[in-house]
Amino acid sequence: MKAIRGVVLTCDPAVKQILLTMNEKLSFIIEDLDEHHLVIKADEEWRVRRELEAELEKNTYSLE
Amino acid sequence: MDNASHLGVVLDLSPKQWHLAAQPSNPHPITLVASLSHLLAFLNAHIACKDENSLALFGALPGKSVMLYSSTMPVNEEEIQPADANTYRPFKVMDSTIMKHIVSEVEALGEPEVEEPIGFVGALTKAMCYINRVTNGSTSSTSRNDDLATLPDPRILVISVSPDQSSSYIPVMNLIFSAQKLKVTIDVCKIFGGESVFLQQAAHLTGGSYIDIDRPDAILQYLMMSFLPPPGLRQLISVPTQDKIDFRAACFCHKNIVDIGFVCSVCLSIFCQPVPVCSTCRTKFPIKTLQRLNASRPNAAPGSAGTPARSSTPARTATPAISANSLPRSTSINPAAVPRVVSNGSAPATSSPMQNGEPR
Amino acid sequence: MPSVQQASTDSATASEAPSHLLLAFLQSQSQNTLTRLYQRPSSCLSIFRLLGPLERQIVMNLLWLESSIPASTMATWVPHEVRKTYENSLSILSRLHILPQSAVKLALNPTFKTSLRHAIIGGGSSGSFGVPATRDEKHSSPSIEVLDAYALERWETILHYMVSSGIATRPSQGVLFLLQRSGLMASIHGGSLQITSLGFQFLLHSPHAQLWELLLQYLHMVEERQMDLVEVLSFLFMLSTMELGREYSVEHLSPTQTAMLEDLRDYGIIWQRRATSKRFCPTRLATTLTSSSPPLPAAGGVSASAHGQGFIILETNYRLYAYTDNPLQIAVLNLFVTLKSRYPNLVVGAITRESVKKALTNGITADQASRQIISYLTTHAHPQMRKNKPLLPVTVQDQIRLWELEKNRMKSQEGYLYTAFASQADYEYVLNYAKQLGVVLWESSGRRCFFGTLEGHPNIRGFIERRTAGNA
Repeated sequence: MKAIRGVVLTCDPAVKQILLTMNEKLSFIIEDLDEHHLVIKADEEWRVRRELEAELEKNTYSLE
Repeated sequence: MDNASHLGVVLDLSPKQWHLAAQPSNPHPITLVASLSHLLAFLNAHIACKDENSLALFGALPGKSVMLYSSTMPVNEEEIQPADANTYRPFKVMDSTIMKHIVSEVEALGEPEVEEPIGFVGALTKAMCYINRVTNGSTSSTSRNDDLATLPDPRILVISVSPDQSSSYIPVMNLIFSAQKLKVTIDVCKIFGGESVFLQQAAHLTGGSYIDIDRPDAILQYLMMSFLPPPGLRQLISVPTQDKIDFRAACFCHKNIVDIGFVCSVCLSIFCQPVPVCSTCRTKFPIKTLQRLNASRPNAAPGSAGTPARSSTPARTATPAISANSLPRSTSINPAAVPRVVSNGSAPATSSPMQNGEPR
Repeated sequence: MPSVQQASTDSATASEAPSHLLLAFLQSQSQNTLTRLYQRPSSCLSIFRLLGPLERQIVMNLLWLESSIPASTMATWVPHEVRKTYENSLSILSRLHILPQSAVKLALNPTFKTSLRHAIIGGGSSGSFGVPATRDEKHSSPSIEVLDAYALERWETILHYMVSSGIATRPSQGVLFLLQRSGLMASIHGGSLQITSLGFQFLLHSPHAQLWELLLQYLHMVEERQMDLVEVLSFLFMLSTMELGREYSVEHLSPTQTAMLEDLRDYGIIWQRRATSKRFCPTRLATTLTSSSPPLPAAGGVSASAHGQGFIILETNYRLYAYTDNPLQIAVLNLFVTLKSRYPNLVVGAITRESVKKALTNGITADQASRQIISYLTTHAHPQMRKNKPLLPVTVQDQIRLWELEKNRMKSQEGYLYTAFASQADYEYVLNYAKQLGVVLWESSGRRCFFGTLEGHPNIRGFIERRTAGNA
């Protein structure tokens, strides 16, 4: 038995797919739990959040 | 849910009835003064619950009805004792205003030989009009009244010591319908004077509670537990409701409370006996129907139904109350007794009570 | 604090808020403190008013009884479906030491009972409703308009100072200290005071909530300043039961309460002709402390809006027109609106994704940011908007909520992943233990692993170690 320290992310499947793609560039995922859950390295959380934010931002359009 | 609520109180101030209620021969005598002190504590408690709660108190006196207090009434500073540090001023202002008005109204009555009928319907109507004004009245511009404009579930508490006046059946029913329309709950606290058929119906039809107080010395506890919670709260903490309601109606012709009535199929007017022409809408009924109806009238019909005497205390004991789940208006009526309509064209005008038998 | 009110279907209003802030504070006080507080009728009346509707009714049902009644009798009044709400109310009352917890008998705290009875039917000699000052021959009492203007000016000075990040007129030292202590403003690198994200949220609250937040902070500081908490609280409650426009004498106040006068003057809660005056007047901020009527005559309305209440018009195309020239209101709007143009009495702007996002990242970080924005718009809607049903365009409301959801597409929680268990039995045994602790965030029996919170880890590790040691 072992215990691994990490951060569990709860997200929708779409966000999870983006995270998986991001993982290919720079690995941070410890364990892919299920459709909605991932465990990642604790110290990577803020970088992942920032990059995800940038990725999602590409998908929104503004009139201005 | 935690909104301000409006309470209208109709206080029966019939000197004769209060005198009877205070007789030591009663199992539980209760004086007006004692009841008033309980009532004032209750009114204070209503205001204590929420600063925005509003109140209007109406008195029913012989032959008239007056407004004794309302939250929006201007305060006459000079008449109130100076403020002191031991009482919450709004309570003091309210209590002394109410007491002063009651005393002056009762003194103004004098000692007439015969007491006029109590202006109960008038007081109830005023209470209803007041609610209508605060719920719909946007004429006033102060912010205080704007708050009142959104009052949820307003209610009226009737404190009654007089028996029913059977002549007030129609106005009371009309009041009940307006109360239903305005979503006003009518609660009835019966301290003395026997069961009231009309008030039972008023409470039942508006979702209020009717309580016949067995122990008038504990009236405050009744008031607190049953009438303090606003209707919204009554889902969380129940208040007593009637298990039996007397649904009988009064006939339009003699104002008697009837067990079996005859209903005009056009306008739903109620009569204590079959009539050839409806006095309200002038519908003529065929002679054959009249004869059949007369023949089918049960022999055990209440004696009062046939006599035109305007008895104000109908024989109540003769009739068991009808259970609550039956329909209010139709339960008092024998469905077989409803005359059929043949014509509702214009008929000669008549307003005299219908005579049994021959049509004109 | 668990909420005792059922979710209402009304649009977001302040009345939906859970139990009053102050009750949570009172619950944390000792029984001794509370009992001393309950000796004063005015305190009892004010606390009674802060309670939820069901608690008030329970208190009233018991108030006039001389003896205790069996708890089961009381419970029969409560329909089965709402039993939980009822028990919740009982526990709130017992934590306030108003209704001692008992499974068998219910009876009010005797001190509370006596005082509340005195409050309602009069009597007693505690003088807790404030001693009115004798008529002053030289000066007449200030009019209500004067008091309102004073309270408004004081209060807006504080708020304005917050939004301007320390540029506008400085309020008194005491207020500045309070703002800093409450975390609403902070000085960065020893420089001037800056508004914090907590401060931004604070600005969106109703004046009533703002007032209590500051007063609570004041109460928290009471002990440091070696003041008697009971004196402070009872003075606030006394103020809340006083009459607007009446002058009261300072002579019967305790030294602590006299010391409070200065602070309360700074907040605009009381008015005095001079600092040394022997009389004081409560303002509307004080007299509405325990009610829900607006504590300020026209919440932020020295502006053109005649009625002073609403000034915002929001259209379905997200455009927002605010009829105001009040810098405070404009500054608050600027938190979540992209302002486009400004006229002498009108500000035009639009709610955009960027502006809401900015609000979410900068200041309004609470879980229910959209609720705060919507409730601010609702309470300040222009009278013209009141004809609409619902008041705010549904499209805009929904969009604000969606934008907030967009911010929260991913939730994270730190912890430990427990995996590679030797056997299914082993796995279930540990999982069961973790579940009893309530620390399991995710589990999969198929993959024989689960995720537990950080807090649960020491316990789980200890559990496994004990077990391994026992097996060995």
